[in-house]
Amino acid sequence: MGKRTIRKTREDYIINFVIYLFLGIIFFVTAYPFYLSIILSFNEGIDAANGGIYFFPRKFTLSNYQGFLTDEKWILAIGVTTVRTLLGTIVTTLFTCVVAYGLAQENLVGRKVYMTITILCLYFSGGLIPYYMVLRSLHLINSFLVYIVPSALNLFYALVAISFFQNLPKELHESAHIDGAGEIPIFFKIILPLSKPLLATIAIFTGVGHWNSWFDSAFFVQNKNLRTLGYLLMEVINRSNLNTRSQASIMAVTSNIVLTPMAVQVTAMVIAAFPIMIIYPFLQKYFITGLTVGSVKG
Amino acid sequence: MKNTEKPWWKRLWVQRGLQAFVFVGIAYLFVFNVIPMVGLIIAFKNYHIQNGLLGMFTGEWVGFKYFIEFFHEYNFSQILRNTVVISLLKLIFGFPVPIILAIALNEVHNRKIKRVIQTASYLPYFISWVIVSGFCVIFLNTRNGAINSVLVGLGILEKPGNFLGGPDFFWTLAVITDVWKSMGWWAILFLAAISGIDPTLYEAAIVDGAGRMSRIWNITIPAILPIITVMMILNIGGLFNGNFDQSFLLGNTGNRDTSDIIGTYVFRVGLSEGRFDYATAVGMIQSLMSVLLVFGSNKLSKKLTGSSLY
Repeated sequence: MGKRTIRKTREDYIINFVIYLFLGIIFFVTAYPFYLSIILSFNEGIDAANGGIYFFPRKFTLSNYQGFLTDEKWILAIGVTTVRTLLGTIVTTLFTCVVAYGLAQENLVGRKVYMTITILCLYFSGGLIPYYMVLRSLHLINSFLVYIVPSALNLFYALVAISFFQNLPKELHESAHIDGAGEIPIFFKIILPLSKPLLATIAIFTGVGHWNSWFDSAFFVQNKNLRTLGYLLMEVINRSNLNTRSQASIMAVTSNIVLTPMAVQVTAMVIAAFPIMIIYPFLQKYFITGLTVGSVKG
Repeated sequence: MKNTEKPWWKRLWVQRGLQAFVFVGIAYLFVFNVIPMVGLIIAFKNYHIQNGLLGMFTGEWVGFKYFIEFFHEYNFSQILRNTVVISLLKLIFGFPVPIILAIALNEVHNRKIKRVIQTASYLPYFISWVIVSGFCVIFLNTRNGAINSVLVGLGILEKPGNFLGGPDFFWTLAVITDVWKSMGWWAILFLAAISGIDPTLYEAAIVDGAGRMSRIWNITIPAILPIITVMMILNIGGLFNGNFDQSFLLGNTGNRDTSDIIGTYVFRVGLSEGRFDYATAVGMIQSLMSVLLVFGSNKLSKKLTGSSLY
């Protein structure tokens, strides 16, 4: 990499120029939408509706956030989504790893049958409607549990976990077993502490999925107090997307702060994207793991 | 293994703890995956949601009635066309971009710049489609959307284009947003493959007087060809999955002619109109198409690369 003893030729300069231009465009295209949304969320809504804001706020204000964070509906949604994300991530990560750990034992009686069922369920599904029927008969519809239970076991991550556990030294399990330790203590005391990269990988992807969720909240839940952030955001975007509404349409959020739908939308977008934007650069080292195991054999 | 000499029931007893772990998982799969699969039979029956879950066994058989009904649906060919075309367009246009991005990133020797661009490029992958649709509204709405303002300001358009509300632009929008969302993510994978290339190959090429372009063309690309093939096959297998969010969130009554796909249609007639039996039948058509693709692409991969998924 570093040692470049060769003089730069004209070709080098041209290629460098093309590559940096291309990467510059990529950088701008991916970062700018986020940047613009942040700018707009700090700008007066009525002023922003006139357009023409590209790089800096024109009328700086914090009222969008004030109005937003004093609105019970949004606060509640942020709370529900946070609880759901934490709980769902823990449940899915642990449950998936426990099952995968069992399946990873090569001398497990009936392993072939279990794996066949697993692969079958990975590739085939009944589709939306029969799935809904099952949720309905389990009384999961319109309950907070619909956010946690149906996604408690992720088969794709289970395959990832199986290949991870199979690469751990077998002696670990056997020696502990001979010492008379039960499966559960072995798993929690010996195996899990060695599986931090795996747990991190599964937890990140599960957590992001929960935080971003909107579908189940929209269609499996009618109770207004159980709305997730993603669902409310979708509602607002659909509303500001309706060009039929006049520009003057203003929604009162609280008694003293009025916000335009667009201002509510960008503020909600920034708040929804914020945790992800903050956390993900620190988790880069796990992404490769998560990706490369995607191509393991089932 | 020392355990294999014992008869299976003794082994079963020794590993009862592990069996319990797996049993819970399989029981769970039975409820949330297997029962819905069995539930597919309502595609051939008269079914009302009031009949509950067991109603799927009691309803009268109607054979292929709903399938035929769907084929006679006035916008059937449109829905099928959209489902296939949107997926194919994404595959054709979306596939080269991450590869080019990975090669370009690999040519950057300044670590800081490389890291900044890479980090920015896969942020969209972690953002929900809801937020992406929000971006589309901000940039494309006819009143004050940034892109419309710029195009009108530069005199390229006379009046703001109705990019979101009309049918003409949806496919383009679907491809652009999909590429935007996933290019950085897939680029990580190709970059990992590129960084595994033996550096002595490059050194030898430099000694032989090969320029940079020729090194990219003759060393980098051939070296990552296998992983490109595998990824291509994986993508073909999942061709029809993952378009629902996009079509649902960016779709509206104005662009339904080009945005409506089987997934959104099933959702509409099923959950909104309550025609569970009919919607299940339509959903099954998509599942069958997917299954054929998975098996087909797997066969193809066995032939081409010798590696397969199962």
